Amino acid sequence: MQLNLGLVFGLCLAASSALADPITVNDGTHEVTLPDTPHRIVALEFSFVDALASVDVSPVGVADDNDPARIPDEVRDIVGDWTSVGTRPQPSIEAIAALHPDLIIADLDRHSAVYDAFSAIAPTLLLPSRGEDYEGSLRSAALIGKAVDKQSQMQARLEQHRASMADYARRIPDGATMIFGAAREDSFSLHGPDSYDGSVLQSLGINVPEVRAQGGASDFVSLEQLLGLDPDYLLVGHYRRPSIIDTWNGDELWSILKASDGRVISVDPNVWARNRGIMAAEKIAADTLAVLDGSFEQID
Amino acid sequence: MIRALIVLSALTLVALCTGATTITPLQVWHLLLAHNPQDFVVWSHRFPRSLTGILIGAALGVAGALVQGVIRNPLASPDILGVTQGAGLAVAFVLLVFPGVGYLPFFSLLGGAAGAALLMAYNAGIFSPVRFALSGVAVSATFAGVTQFLLLTHPVEVNTALLSLTGSLWARGWPHLGLLLPLIPLMMVAMTLAKPLDVIALGEDTAHALGTRLRLVRWAAITMAVMLTAISVSVAGPVGFVGLVAPHLARRLVGGGHLRLLPTAGMLGAAILLAADTLGRGIAPPAEIPAGVLTAVIGAPYFLWLLFRTR
Repeated sequence: MQLNLGLVFGLCLAASSALADPITVNDGTHEVTLPDTPHRIVALEFSFVDALASVDVSPVGVADDNDPARIPDEVRDIVGDWTSVGTRPQPSIEAIAALHPDLIIADLDRHSAVYDAFSAIAPTLLLPSRGEDYEGSLRSAALIGKAVDKQSQMQARLEQHRASMADYARRIPDGATMIFGAAREDSFSLHGPDSYDGSVLQSLGINVPEVRAQGGASDFVSLEQLLGLDPDYLLVGHYRRPSIIDTWNGDELWSILKASDGRVISVDPNVWARNRGIMAAEKIAADTLAVLDGSFEQID
Repeated sequence: MIRALIVLSALTLVALCTGATTITPLQVWHLLLAHNPQDFVVWSHRFPRSLTGILIGAALGVAGALVQGVIRNPLASPDILGVTQGAGLAVAFVLLVFPGVGYLPFFSLLGGAAGAALLMAYNAGIFSPVRFALSGVAVSATFAGVTQFLLLTHPVEVNTALLSLTGSLWARGWPHLGLLLPLIPLMMVAMTLAKPLDVIALGEDTAHALGTRLRLVRWAAITMAVMLTAISVSVAGPVGFVGLVAPHLARRLVGGGHLRLLPTAGMLGAAILLAADTLGRGIAPPAEIPAGVLTAVIGAPYFLWLLFRTR
């Protein structure tokens, strides 16, 4: 009897640990249940890696466009190495499956059409990242914190983040007009107030002009349309060199641009356009402060 | 024909073995027999994806052979007829402007038919192979341009649409295979056209004298080709040049008799698309190069060579 009781007790203990803490997260489109704390996580957007790094969790696989350097050093220093699963728009389904993940974090915009393929491999969270604004990315980070069973650590990190952003906002003078644009060889796309970096700038007290009424988060503009907006500061992320901005530089019209007297600043497109999240926002804030007080070192 | 079948089977095996993880043929065989849901890579991913590629490639090959048979023009193919891009435009339009509206292959069919009708109307009466090919390219380019415009003006919904428009087999699986099932009876029905197409190959006057109902055969073959192409496009997007290259290769292998030409073109079409997809997956994993890009890399120079030769 004594032995039986011990056995029953042992079994109960085993059962309770086997059934330990199923985590349920509602990502807005699906209710995802994780049987246990996930340890093999595949992240299909950079902002998800940022969120994981914020609570010291390392993903096993990342859709890093086959170029890990696109993710900021700060994030890579924390999470270490991962296996690339290909590009963000079309990650390799096989490479993801080969990692035997227990959680996949996919982008609502890029990957909702292939949700079924991912969820056949592992429980899949579909969170907004691409085209998401600042507050939205923090909400996604909070959900990721919950999914990896680090809810309280994520809350603490978010509070620390809000405090440091408030500190940046205090040091950044209000009222300057600033806008970021991504430059390729043949196109220039401005990120308006609804974009990620635009909404970060606005939270810091910077004015971000609306590119066009009922426009998207980012809009392609011509040189003339850019002149119509005429921001105090124009931040440019050059995806390719020479970019269209280098071409416009030689144009007569360019000299009319208010910012053309030294306030067209070349910034890192990885920080300003490709990455979103907690650390990404802090980097944008630090860059902005440095641009305004003149200590910013431009990117080639 | 047998050779084409052997090539296709061998390619299927290679397709199932290669990818981000390499699996031996023996393991593949066991996994296929077991088909358990735990084995994701072969049973839930590579196998349905390869079947999708085989069906679509075969449909495009047969469609190309039908069009070339009835128009008696080596440059003719569903791409050149404006069917592929017309179907692509219809798919983009439905996905971007009326998202969530019903059965995609149906709209794809409407677009493909519209493309073919436009080209046939333009070329009614006078018939010069080069004029036909060039106007077809113009129609296709116009449709592709309108598709680009739609993509640019709907930046938010673009990703879902792009997935259906890249001409690739990425993330295609069992559900897509269901949409493609009508292709099988369609290809069988197409075989009934083999005899009349052989007669047409003797020349229109001879065909007429032998009692072939030219208009009926022409309509049936074009309609069939449009349906085969449009259904394929609704799943994989516009995959170019398979419908052009496969029938040419088939003619070299088995000659011009349609009873052998049609199935051989189908098998070669399947082999080409499958090879393109396998290469795209296996060349530098985890990168995925869309199959449509690879078929274009091979097909476009081939088209130029044909154009050069027919002048």
